[in-house]
Amino acid sequence: MSAAMRNPAAKPETADGPVVAVRDLRAWYRLRLFGVDREVKAVDGITFEVRKDEIYGLAGESSSGKSTLVKTIAGAMRPPLEIVGGEIQFSFMDGTMGLNRAPADLVERVRWRHLSYVMQGSMSVLNPVRRIGTSFFDFAFRHMGLDKAGFEAAVVAHLARVNLPASVLKAYPHELSGGMRQRVTIALATICRPQFIIADEPTTALDVVVQKDVLAMFRSIQREMASSVLFVTHDMGVHAHLTDRLGIMYAGRLVEEARTPDVFARPRHPYTRHLIHSLPRIGDDRPRSGLEGTPPSLANPPSGCRFHPRCAFATERCRVEVPPMEQVAPDHRVACFEKDRVEATP
Amino acid sequence: MRAYARYAFGRFLQFLLVVFIGINIAYIITHATPIDPVEHTVSVATAFGHTAPEAIESMRQSLRELYGLTGSPIEQYLNFWRRVLVADFGPSLSAFPSPVSTLIGRAIPWTVGLLGVATILTWIIGNLLGGLAGYYRRSRLLKGFGIVAMALHPMPYYIAAIILLIVFGYLWPILPISGGSQMNVARGWSSEYILSVARHSMLPLLSLLLVGLGGWFVGMRSLVSNVVTEDYVVYAELAGVSKRRILTAYVMRNAIAPQVTGLAISLGHVFSGALITERVFGYPGIGSLLVDGVHAGDYSLVLGVTTVSIVGVSLAVLVIDLIYPLIDPRVTVS
Repeated sequence: MSAAMRNPAAKPETADGPVVAVRDLRAWYRLRLFGVDREVKAVDGITFEVRKDEIYGLAGESSSGKSTLVKTIAGAMRPPLEIVGGEIQFSFMDGTMGLNRAPADLVERVRWRHLSYVMQGSMSVLNPVRRIGTSFFDFAFRHMGLDKAGFEAAVVAHLARVNLPASVLKAYPHELSGGMRQRVTIALATICRPQFIIADEPTTALDVVVQKDVLAMFRSIQREMASSVLFVTHDMGVHAHLTDRLGIMYAGRLVEEARTPDVFARPRHPYTRHLIHSLPRIGDDRPRSGLEGTPPSLANPPSGCRFHPRCAFATERCRVEVPPMEQVAPDHRVACFEKDRVEATP
Repeated sequence: MRAYARYAFGRFLQFLLVVFIGINIAYIITHATPIDPVEHTVSVATAFGHTAPEAIESMRQSLRELYGLTGSPIEQYLNFWRRVLVADFGPSLSAFPSPVSTLIGRAIPWTVGLLGVATILTWIIGNLLGGLAGYYRRSRLLKGFGIVAMALHPMPYYIAAIILLIVFGYLWPILPISGGSQMNVARGWSSEYILSVARHSMLPLLSLLLVGLGGWFVGMRSLVSNVVTEDYVVYAELAGVSKRRILTAYVMRNAIAPQVTGLAISLGHVFSGALITERVFGYPGIGSLLVDGVHAGDYSLVLGVTTVSIVGVSLAVLVIDLIYPLIDPRVTVS
């Protein structure tokens, strides 16, 4: 990496500090309809870190607030979504308010250079009337500090890494297949070798065969660049395959976080247990039981632990008090009053 | 490139077909009118004084030949097409003996100049302001403009034209209200003549702008506010692509495609729009020519004007279609 590519605004990287630290983040949708205020607490008090050179997975069912959390961290918030409280600290940026409250020129320098984004619905993120090469130019040229010829050579070399020929640069998005487009977006997100990549359901729209290739590619590029990735998907299979650590979200809160193998081997939260036990296993043909009830409304969430109406272990305390996130083992945190009883139950 | 050639060829064939059908319809309609131009001319010529029946008969005969009305219907039809292909529509009746093609040739620059310029200018201004208004939703200036444009838009065109005439021709007479240029100025590339033409075109141009802007403005504004929420725009914003490039290359560029189709359609209205505009402002274009021709039962003139409009409109649409793949590369695929 040449000196010209370094961003003067960036703080010198600390050796092993987290790339992003989120503390007690609360981001709500604040609506005002016919004079009635309505608050949807999609992210309500979340604390976690993404370390250097790891893939941190975020799992949870639809409307658990995953996408809102990601949007908040990426600074992609639009009204009525707003940060109500908490901190987002990036290792490559001063200040604790994340991208939303940072000065515009700093944000512009940081975006794509230090933080990039693979979006949900990656099929439609490329401008349909712009050639792929032009999109690369728009997104990355100013960060690379190269002349045009050098930039093109760098792009071609990077495309080779995701098994794409240089000819895709002349193509329009509609001329590529779904898998190719997905690889283009991954190449686009990694060309500047950012420290932090947010991937929001990047493979959900692909069939499983293509999905496997794309994930393997994603993994190898991440390993090579030692980037940190926040990987969001509801697909537990993808998490098992790809992520280093895993956070489980339920109704706007983090309920459990551990190294991925530990989550699958020793889930402590009743909700995580349901998630794991609902996965099909080879050789085990017992019918899987679904979780009773429906996900709670975030506009009017249950009191106390938000999972208590669907929880077999719920006590009176769960209905009143919010369980704090507590460390139960190295790198294993759970928010449940009855975690010991849960663990003791087979 | 190959795909484009195939696309262009297909569009060209379509153009020929449209022109062919259009001219046939015009032929049938003019030939189905109850006014027989030959008898009309004969009766006008013989209305005063005495004419020998032989003279009338020979006059009738020569007029029939002149108008291409000799022979069987099929011969007439083939003859008609032979003449269309060399743009010969015979002599005009109302301005006998000037050929129809001369009259049309004289009128066309006025119509294309005024209505073509007005249509394209309206399109550019309306889309530019509409696009900005869709992107900068909070701008008070653009909001205000939107309200004014929307208020003017539903007004019938002739009302706007007449109001302008009253205001600028009568209450505050600063602009000429009729004609294409000042009568006593010699034609040519002199500054005096050009200025005179410009001054005469002011009111018709203004009337077309006032009424036409609103449609483009509102259309583009809503297109842009849809495009702004598209994934690729959000993604480019997250990538820190500069605002200016997002506005031009990502937002406007994608929103403009349907508006280009709209432009092709409204260029087609140049000839029909000419009727009212040129009538109200006494403008010497093709619309005035057509109305005069209809009143005089001058059907070679009517047929000539109609044919030229059909070719002109189809040509405008063809040109737009041919440049459309540059705007949206996806169209050549299907």
